Amino acid sequence: MLKGFRGLGFFFLRYRLQWILGMVCVFFSVGISLLGPPFFVRFVIDELYAGRATLETVAWNAFYILLTTLAANVIVFVQRQFNVVSSFRVAYDVRKAIFDQLTQLDQTYFHNNKTGDLMSRLTSDLNMVREMLGFGINAGSQTLLRLFMSLGLMLWLSPTLGLIVVAVFPLIAGLLALMIGVIAKRYVAVQEQASLISAKAQENFSGIRVVKGYAIEDREILEYKNMNAEYKKRSLRLAIVEAPQWAAVGIAMNTVFVIVLLVGSRELIFQGALSGNASASFAGLTPGKFVQFFTYLFELSWPMLAIGWMTNIFQRGSSSWTRLQEILDAKSAITDNRADPSIEVVHGAIEFKDVGFKADGRTLLSHVNLSIPKGTTVGITGRTGSGKTLLAQLIGRLIEPSSGVLLIDGQDARTIAVQTLRGAIGLVPQEPFLFSDKLSENIAFGLPNSTQIIEPNIPDLERVQKAARIAGLSKDVADFKEQFETILGERGITLSGGQRQRTAIARAIARDPAILILDDSMSAVDTETEARILSELRTVLEGRTVILIGHRVSTLRFADNIVVLENGRVLEQGSHENLIAQGGYYAEMERKQSLQSELETELPVAGHQPVGSLQS
Amino acid sequence: MREEDAFQKQFDWQLTKRIFGYLRPYQWVAIGALVLAFLNSGTNRLYPFLQAQVIDQYLIPKAGSSFAGLSLDARWNGVVTIGIIIGLVALLEFVVRFAFNYTLSWMGQSVLFDIRADIFSKLQRLPLAYFDRNPVGRLITRVTSDVDAINSFITDGLMTLVQSTFVILATAVLMLTLNVKLALVAFAVVPILFVAMRFFQTQFRKSYREIRIKQAIVNTALNENITGMGTVQIFNREARQRRDFDKLNSAFLAEYLKSVKWYSYFFPTVGIIGNAALAVVIWVGGSDAVQNAVSIGVLYAFTRYVFDFFRPLEDLSNVLNTLQAAMASAERIFGILDEPEVVTDAPDAKKIVGGFKGEVQFKDVWFSYKPVGEEVLETDWVLRGINLHVQPGQSVALVGATGAGKTSIISLLSRFYDIQKGSILVDGTDVRQIAQRDLRKHVGVVLQDVYLFSGTIESNLRMNDETIPLEKIIQACKYVGVHEFISGLANGYKTEVKERGATLSTGQKQLLAFARALIANPDILLVLDEATANIDTESELQIQDALAKVMHGRTSIIIAHRLSTIKNCDRIIVMRKGKIVEEGSHDQLLRQGGYYATLYNLQYADQELVGA
Repeated sequence: MLKGFRGLGFFFLRYRLQWILGMVCVFFSVGISLLGPPFFVRFVIDELYAGRATLETVAWNAFYILLTTLAANVIVFVQRQFNVVSSFRVAYDVRKAIFDQLTQLDQTYFHNNKTGDLMSRLTSDLNMVREMLGFGINAGSQTLLRLFMSLGLMLWLSPTLGLIVVAVFPLIAGLLALMIGVIAKRYVAVQEQASLISAKAQENFSGIRVVKGYAIEDREILEYKNMNAEYKKRSLRLAIVEAPQWAAVGIAMNTVFVIVLLVGSRELIFQGALSGNASASFAGLTPGKFVQFFTYLFELSWPMLAIGWMTNIFQRGSSSWTRLQEILDAKSAITDNRADPSIEVVHGAIEFKDVGFKADGRTLLSHVNLSIPKGTTVGITGRTGSGKTLLAQLIGRLIEPSSGVLLIDGQDARTIAVQTLRGAIGLVPQEPFLFSDKLSENIAFGLPNSTQIIEPNIPDLERVQKAARIAGLSKDVADFKEQFETILGERGITLSGGQRQRTAIARAIARDPAILILDDSMSAVDTETEARILSELRTVLEGRTVILIGHRVSTLRFADNIVVLENGRVLEQGSHENLIAQGGYYAEMERKQSLQSELETELPVAGHQPVGSLQS
Repeated sequence: MREEDAFQKQFDWQLTKRIFGYLRPYQWVAIGALVLAFLNSGTNRLYPFLQAQVIDQYLIPKAGSSFAGLSLDARWNGVVTIGIIIGLVALLEFVVRFAFNYTLSWMGQSVLFDIRADIFSKLQRLPLAYFDRNPVGRLITRVTSDVDAINSFITDGLMTLVQSTFVILATAVLMLTLNVKLALVAFAVVPILFVAMRFFQTQFRKSYREIRIKQAIVNTALNENITGMGTVQIFNREARQRRDFDKLNSAFLAEYLKSVKWYSYFFPTVGIIGNAALAVVIWVGGSDAVQNAVSIGVLYAFTRYVFDFFRPLEDLSNVLNTLQAAMASAERIFGILDEPEVVTDAPDAKKIVGGFKGEVQFKDVWFSYKPVGEEVLETDWVLRGINLHVQPGQSVALVGATGAGKTSIISLLSRFYDIQKGSILVDGTDVRQIAQRDLRKHVGVVLQDVYLFSGTIESNLRMNDETIPLEKIIQACKYVGVHEFISGLANGYKTEVKERGATLSTGQKQLLAFARALIANPDILLVLDEATANIDTESELQIQDALAKVMHGRTSIIIAHRLSTIKNCDRIIVMRKGKIVEEGSHDQLLRQGGYYATLYNLQYADQELVGA
């Protein structure tokens, strides 16, 4: 199991002083609470029994009970500050470390590890680890210490009675372990059935059209009920072993209780009688000791149940940590290992030399040769999945070529520091990702003074406004109540599709990049607005390299060079006129689009379909 | 974390009464559970009382007396007798406790079953529009965690309430029996403890809610950053995002540390109150014992009873939270159960015996996805006055651009939605006057991306109708040409479908869809014929062949994307923006050179090669 904690030590040991002090606290709080009050109760009883007790002794002993309790509980308070607080600090440190790690991992990693999976590691797995370090260590150490101290004290009070308990205890613990084993198995059976039921419901709700279409509702209900009946059956099978768990501990403890009561009473009755004098007889057991013994005996029932529980917490904690450690172990494929620090400026000439890209064993790009001279515009088109976006990602070094080489300004892109290269790029992704922040913050997202860590971070409003104007966003912003201060919902959900895209364009051009990549970034913008934005862009992007990925011939036609991709290969390449003359894919696209616009101009479009129509 | 998790609801008596309604079938079991709870709390607390008897009667002589002249053996025998009584009580306790826990589980599970069955059955009756509005994930929550919350309302909430009260009462009665003065002294601790616990519970809840809010903020940020990491990186924002995240992470930590603070106060406070009570009992009781007003055994019993108020009081102070937590869930569940069913069978709905002839008529049909009765804006209309008459056995192809209203026509004929104006008739009867089940049994919809349920290929083809003989299924599969493929699978027709049929090819799935439709043998066939990319010519021809066979001899309305399908139909209906704009045969329409002709050039002309 220790292997499961590899790497956790680093975070754990940062607080080693706290853990050690915490353990010392546990030792003293348990020790005092076990030795203190029970001892004074015993003393009072024995004094009363011996007839020596006075009002004064009683009062003093009551006071001592109070005093020791106070001491033990002050220590309990302090102990939490060490143990539990440290566990939360570790959780914080781990969360921070993983976040930092994630910012350094490349896109391939995020492709292979879905957001949901990473999220569940950062939430429920981290929580398990936290619980193990906090509750597990704190309550676990207390429980164990209580168990062993109680056993020791019982042996000390009365070796005979103590030995009886020590002899029986493993039997009870064994029985309990057996029960816990059966319970665990049946619990799994219940959980399995529960997930089948969820799956059934999921299937039924998702396929409700088919269910209704074939009028099989009744059969579905019957099947669902049968599955639930099975669930009930399994739950009750679990209950029949789980229900007696406490009861079994109870009866086992009570059996020990009766045995101890009988054996102890016998000793008290006959020994006391032999000496003839009750008060002087108890070299061995006294009524007070007898009573104290019971106090410790009752301390045992909780630890017996708790040990199984604790083991479980540590097991889950260990496997959860393994999943977290995996993230920390991940290595980014994109590094600055070969970077030449003397390169500080990127001019914008791009060349793909026989570039190929593979993912999951599939070839997504092969033998791409494409030269984009500085200051020119290249248009890229092709079917969905033909690899257009990959080209954009390669230029930004979000992914690395599997073969061939990407040259920037005539040099291998890897010789340029990642931050330098990306600093020269403005990328407008296909589905722009906006952050739930102010509009101005979103547009200023990549501006130098926004990326720096200074307080306060005020975005350069002048540049923001200028970028918004070029991206055709000014009019929309003027309509917003809060203007640039408008807070966008998660992923910019409060904006329309077109507004989101134009915000993303503003965000990219605000950086004044040497290379601008527009990845199908105006699909939600109508043709007219697109044309206007592009002409605005052309004025400010004089001398910049532009990569324009899209489907509309009306915009592609102005590119200096147009590339058609198919299945990761360059199918056609040339100017608009050339490609039309060739009569290939591009020419066909042009023909269809003109027909389409003919269709559209006939009648104004109205009406819509809801999200979940029959086709979905 | 969903928005509804943070949603808190006050205790609501109306809802509680409805939850109680689910206990009614099990009222005798519930009463039995109450009796068991009563017995359990009684037996559980007897031990210190009995032990006090041992001490006082046989172990420690009362001052002056020496056991009223009992001999040593008589004293020993007395101890043994009480020992046996304790043993019997323990046995009784074991049985009662076991029975109580089991009964509780049984009751909870039964109610769980009933509520789930109710919700699920209700959902089956709700109109498609309801499913359009409510994402599947939300509905799943209703039949899982919301139902669980009600279960714990009954088992944890109500029963804890009853049992804890019993335990407190039992303890109190035993204490009063032993010694009234000491009992009253010990009772003083109860209100103090309860107030302290209530106070802390309130703080815990507040702090728990704050933690959840901070947690939600951290999670949102995490999710946003993980999803948008590409954007973060391309804009060189890593350092800034790390700093921003650290702020949220720190706030989250701070909130947690606040909660640690409350817990750090809680345990010592409770510990101190309890032991202070012990000290007082020892002081008062001990002083009385010095004056022989209290026996040692009684004093001992009180040192045990003082702590017995803890658990039940803690549970009681917590129970209100459990009950409240269930309120929000109960409200959502009853919300589903109270949802109007909208598309319902008319009281005099016609039962269809034997099937339809297959005549379909749309009379000036106006339709919008807005619920019937709500105001419909001009732009909301999906169908705008459709008139269509299909003779029995005739096949009709619907063509038009996306959003023209083709799918709506098909949904309406199955009466998945009700229309706002006009009427839809099958064999001359309005669909709203036909029992839904009967209508849908005889109107078959074929979605070519066949929705496969978990189970075997066979169960998916027969759609759980056990009355269909296997021969008929095989016959149908042979007819559409998918039999060879199915027989080739490891377990033939008994092969398990995995992950919605992820292992099947598109072509195979389409053929299965046709086979399924053929087996159901509808009188009116509605087909969504998707043009599928990446399909080889052979499969394509197979599908076309199968479709023609399925259409043969029945009224068919087909949303056609394949030229071959269009050509195979008796009539082509061209739709645009909710209206029928052209009608006729393929050649006629092409010659007209209208909308269809343009559509043909745009969408179907490429298919001439395959469709020939």
